[in-house]
Amino acid sequence: MARLTVIEGGRAEAERPGPSPSAAAPGLLEDLYRRHAPAVYGRCRFLLRDPEAAKDATQDVFARALRALPEFRAAASPATWLMRIATHHCLNVLRAARAGWRDEVRRAADGRRTPGLEPDRRELVRALLGAVPEEAREAAVLYYVDEMTQAEIALATGHSLPTVRKRLRQFLAAARAALAEACPGLALPEGDEP
Amino acid sequence: MTLALGGPGLACSAMRLRRLAAGELLGEERSRTEEHLAGCARCQATAREIEAERRDLAEALPFEELAAGVAERLARPERRPLVLRALPLALAAGLAVAVAAPFLLRLTRPEDGTRVKGGASAVLFAQEGTAVRALAPGEPIPEGARLRLSLLPAGRRNAAAFLVDADGAALLYAGPALAGPLPDAFEWTGRGTGTLLVLLSDGPLDAEALGARLEREGAGAEPPPGAESIRIQLRRGRR
Repeated sequence: MARLTVIEGGRAEAERPGPSPSAAAPGLLEDLYRRHAPAVYGRCRFLLRDPEAAKDATQDVFARALRALPEFRAAASPATWLMRIATHHCLNVLRAARAGWRDEVRRAADGRRTPGLEPDRRELVRALLGAVPEEAREAAVLYYVDEMTQAEIALATGHSLPTVRKRLRQFLAAARAALAEACPGLALPEGDEP
Repeated sequence: MTLALGGPGLACSAMRLRRLAAGELLGEERSRTEEHLAGCARCQATAREIEAERRDLAEALPFEELAAGVAERLARPERRPLVLRALPLALAAGLAVAVAAPFLLRLTRPEDGTRVKGGASAVLFAQEGTAVRALAPGEPIPEGARLRLSLLPAGRRNAAAFLVDADGAALLYAGPALAGPLPDAFEWTGRGTGTLLVLLSDGPLDAEALGARLEREGAGAEPPPGAESIRIQLRRGRR
């Protein structure tokens, strides 16, 4: 028989790595998973609407994070950095699938047609993403879904504050037009510009 | 009728709550956020969503599956400047379970030698001290290293893994074709050269009969009909 010693369960308990991301590399992915994977997977599911695609995208995002480890570690907020990568990745995946936005907007807005029932704001934003210019989408997700301030978005994306404001206005203008087309009679409040 | 899209409130921020959940907020910012959360129904609803995401993830994508998927992605060539290409490999060298550049070993059908189910692969990880890394093809196996095999079975149902060397064949694993690291690690105590042989099949694999055949015929023995094989060559030494 070939000569070997089986080590049940793999590593000895004493050598199991610690939980901190700044600790030795062996525990890094486990730590990233525990801290950030729920949010990343949640974002991917929210934008892609498909659990399998969301799993793939989550793995893509973590591979990307590990490839850009110095950049990740230098980020002021690792959670914000990862969510931005996840958002950007999913929006790229969705780029080719814009055709169904009218139906999605109608479905998302339907709750408003029933008195007393508010539509899910985030669902409505997601549905509207298909109808707005590409460059405005990321800022819209960070502002309306993640509820980041314009200053926080500028810091996270590296864009200037006027650029962030311009993109949010682009989103609102396109969202108003899309809503008017898909759901006549429903509108976004006027004078609500970021 | 008008609809509201929301956006950040004066003190409400989903991202701030995510940072709180991730342990990123410290000191006054943490106290302020916790205090606000305690009295804000909107943020409490967001916090419940964040908690639900944790449960969803545990069910849909356990750590081992994520690690195997990340390892596979890190092994793919990346279109980057040459100077940056070493980073993922250096990183993989330090990761504990399954993140590294796998040997993208070709899965071949034994009877005709053509590649099938091209996504299947196997990764051999070596742990020396606390550092874990993926071994490159042909890299010598250090004395005393703990070795662990990780599989990406590409949809095959059953797997068996053997270590075959000059002293014979030993069974490492037989059972469902798990995606990710096999349950047990091992230390190769043999000398010279050896082969890690992974067999993947949609039908059952008779591990005892296979082991006996490998004992008699060595690692070059024909796999059973319908089974596909991955071979990783082992040799003793240091880098």
